Amino acid sequence: MSILDQLYEKAKQNPQKVAFPEAANEKMMQAAYETGRDGYIIPVLVGDAAELKRLAAERGYEESIFTIVDIHEEAYKNELIAKYVALPETRLKEKALGRRMEDPLYYSMVMQAVEEADVTFAGIDNTTGDVLLAGQMIIGLKPGISTISSIGLCDIPGFEGSEGSLLAVGDSAVCTNPNAEQLASIAISACDTVASLLDWEPRCAMVCYSTLGSGQGELIDKVTEALKIAQEARPDLAIDGEFQLDAAIVPAVAEKKVKRESKVAGKANVVIWPDLNVGNVSVKLIQQFGHADAYGPMLQGFNKVVCDCSRGAPVSEIKGNVVISAVRAAGDKK
Amino acid sequence: MERKELEAKVLELVAASYKKDVNELSMETSFKEDLSGASVQMVALVAEIENELDATLMLADASACATISELVDLVEEEL
Repeated sequence: MSILDQLYEKAKQNPQKVAFPEAANEKMMQAAYETGRDGYIIPVLVGDAAELKRLAAERGYEESIFTIVDIHEEAYKNELIAKYVALPETRLKEKALGRRMEDPLYYSMVMQAVEEADVTFAGIDNTTGDVLLAGQMIIGLKPGISTISSIGLCDIPGFEGSEGSLLAVGDSAVCTNPNAEQLASIAISACDTVASLLDWEPRCAMVCYSTLGSGQGELIDKVTEALKIAQEARPDLAIDGEFQLDAAIVPAVAEKKVKRESKVAGKANVVIWPDLNVGNVSVKLIQQFGHADAYGPMLQGFNKVVCDCSRGAPVSEIKGNVVISAVRAAGDKK
Repeated sequence: MERKELEAKVLELVAASYKKDVNELSMETSFKEDLSGASVQMVALVAEIENELDATLMLADASACATISELVDLVEEEL
């Protein structure tokens, strides 16, 4: 059974409420319908109710599969606003929030913030920037986390790592040139993401072109500083480095190069790149030469699960990402 | 709102969002060089401007402002 099939099964055991602020979009409504009909999620369509009902009927979908939330309905909107502004450390006040909530993306995130939904899934009509801004403004960052980032999950044929053919890598998509503090945040968030999604015990390697001082220079200094920050912030996590990639994931190489105790060296299941140049090139190498399937990017660092899909994504990919985000949300509740 | 009053208000909001003393800031303060803030702080600032001045800014437009003076111009256009 592929990892995606396993995640589909996991989603079905504990379906989460997923808010779709772009449900009028044909591909998005199809993905919401099919994942809802098959029991993986509880789809909540957020927008102009009359339009959404008309579109669902035109497209031949049973309306009973959906919960439809009308953004023009004042009583429920006011209830959400009251609950939201009562939360600690929210950014927007009533009036500004009410204005932003005319946009279904913000409306959905407010629902999520007050636990009327578990996930907000968007990105087919909104840009990544729109989703990230709304997420930062409404959902906010996790305490102690200084940047939004992402990880991807690679299923690499022939790779025999500590999780079989699977390896989580990040950040290959969002944070361009992280400073040490941000790099530490990426590592911490990645550990939390794989724990909630896959029930892994994270073993996170911070990689660069040096293993424990074998190389020197400012590019390495950033990684060692990030490592120190991450270890101090979260001593409960196994985050180690600085390692070259082979020392991180190949036991025989780790044995030669890492001459001290390490829970991570040679058996890392999470690899953190030093910047986006490395991340982007590496993922493409894994895909091109390793013929890997790469799932994601999964956004991380927010207080709750926010998902941004590619604007050109086919329905099958959207469904996969919806299910992944639902499993993460269920895992976060544990 | 008069320009001077708006400038004073925006300075106050920048100081709160970037955790600076308002007396260290001026219209010429550069976001990149003097405040070196992360995007998270700009998000906080945009939210504060919405709350306090009733002006809804695009984050991309606010982030494109080099100085506080340019941000005041942007807010003025939105009011």
